[in-house]
Amino acid sequence: MPIVKLGDKGRWTNYHGTGTCEAATRFALRSGDAVRGRDEIAIASKAVQDWLAEAQAAKRRVRPIGAGWSPSNVNISSDSWLLHTRRFNRCFRIEAADVRPGIDADGLMLVEAGALVDEVSDKLEEQGRSLWTSGAGNGQTFAGACATGTHGSMIARGGIQDHIRALQIVTPGGIHWIEPDAGVMSDAFIAATGSTPLRDDDLFAAAQLPVGSLGIVTAVVVDSVPKFLVRPIQNLRTVECAALDWLATGDFRRFSAAYALDQDPDFVQMIVNPYKPFKRPAMLRFLYREPWRDDYPRATPGQLGAGYDALSLLGRLLNDYPWARGPLLQFAMKQGYASGPDVNAPPVYGSWGEGLDTHRPLADLFNASVTIDRADLARAFERICAVFARHGGSTVVTVRFMERAQGLLAPARFPHNAVIDFDGPRSQRTADAYARVVECLDAEGIAFTRHWAKSCRLDAVRVAADYGEDFRRWRSARDRLMPDPAHRALFGSEVLDGLGLTC
Amino acid sequence: MMWVGWALATLGFALLVGQYAAGQADIFVSIANPRPLDEELMVVTLKGWGFAAQAAQPFVTPESDHGLCDVRVFGTRRQMLVAIATFGFLRPVTVAWRAHAGILPLGDA
Repeated sequence: MPIVKLGDKGRWTNYHGTGTCEAATRFALRSGDAVRGRDEIAIASKAVQDWLAEAQAAKRRVRPIGAGWSPSNVNISSDSWLLHTRRFNRCFRIEAADVRPGIDADGLMLVEAGALVDEVSDKLEEQGRSLWTSGAGNGQTFAGACATGTHGSMIARGGIQDHIRALQIVTPGGIHWIEPDAGVMSDAFIAATGSTPLRDDDLFAAAQLPVGSLGIVTAVVVDSVPKFLVRPIQNLRTVECAALDWLATGDFRRFSAAYALDQDPDFVQMIVNPYKPFKRPAMLRFLYREPWRDDYPRATPGQLGAGYDALSLLGRLLNDYPWARGPLLQFAMKQGYASGPDVNAPPVYGSWGEGLDTHRPLADLFNASVTIDRADLARAFERICAVFARHGGSTVVTVRFMERAQGLLAPARFPHNAVIDFDGPRSQRTADAYARVVECLDAEGIAFTRHWAKSCRLDAVRVAADYGEDFRRWRSARDRLMPDPAHRALFGSEVLDGLGLTC
Repeated sequence: MMWVGWALATLGFALLVGQYAAGQADIFVSIANPRPLDEELMVVTLKGWGFAAQAAQPFVTPESDHGLCDVRVFGTRRQMLVAIATFGFLRPVTVAWRAHAGILPLGDA
């Protein structure tokens, strides 16, 4: 039996400590030792379906828990049954015989739902492959990062869920293998996983980003690219306000030439102090992609510029001494971020996976973001910083860039996106300042979306307004997958019901 | 001689404040490439200036068959106040750890 009960009913707190499931009964889904991946997930998905039936009989709601990285509390459901998936983390090669004719199996890998982004990166690299984008951290489960639309960070790519080519979802009504209309895996393979194939573009686009509301994802088929090296440049520079226009128009080459190397960057990140963002130096990070070679000198994650959590240690100071926030944030940026290699330093290289970090927050963090059309960056950014600082926000403000992401509920829904993050020490004042930013954008008529996993203060009306027709299509796909309202309610929670996803 | 007394009192107070602050620091040890499960924690109380140590619970952790990813040792504000108020006779510390989920070899689908 791959599902085991973990102790008695009790309290479970999510990774960032923003929410607690009271009176939760915890279970763990574990990998087995089946020789073939398809057999392994057939056993596991059947066990999950039986577990769902038991939960229904016990009149308990259920919630799958990966790494628990969702400060928006979409992972919180009290008096429910929790299914921890972290030990369901095997990865499997896919052969040409496993896929439909015309599908290239070389880049595909079958991944159990509890594997971390870091594990997926490692297993792909073993095969000479790589993810093409991901978020800044790699400690989320891959399925969980996709489920909440974790934004990517490569300029020319979308979100992490874009890697998904097919997935297995278990509901009380069935074990489903969901793919686009054109199909990916062979019928024989799908049958061996114990699933019923559902080849439907809309259903697939809904399932790429299910926000934990469409059932329990047990496995995903992940696509990849040949592995590559990245050269990071990281420095502190005072950025001209005019540079926002270059970024807004996608002239990243000019931005890079002004502040780092005169070549096209693949990744651009600007971390500013919202207190005088264009007078105080900003922390800039660029990544330049290069062909893979085996003999590159290995660098540590720190040398590659990974590590984003130095600010967490300053939380209490920033909260207690509001008059010192500007200088304190600048001090933290210098201490925490300035260790990366600058233009004149000896170059260091790493794979995409090596440049990411499994962070460990040592203090309570606040995480929020807005994703805007990149074309609005110049008119929105200064205003955002001014409002955030004026209302006492105590985090740095980070900007990254990406293309439109797949999935009906993908927050990166503009053709070109600027993702603006507010990540740092948690305080009520910072949360209030973020709320003022949201109000300001609304007042200015600047369209934006919010990250499903971060503190987002969304409700059903706002979700419907933000996603429009795509939200209607998502709900329609959900209702086709789970026609019985009782089955949909099984995956509900106070937060998800409030977002209009499970009711 | 009065100023000597005040100087000593100030020094003593500064020592206490320093101990109070430093005792709340995180001592954090991690393996490379962690694959962590949820954090578990327990409080260990050193008694009699370390002559006896007693954990509030035995060191049993669920799902630790793949070992531990990381361990943190720290004192909360309350724990440091207890230590200072009892002249160090009681020294509670919090030990937090995350078990390892295991790294399984790449298989065939």
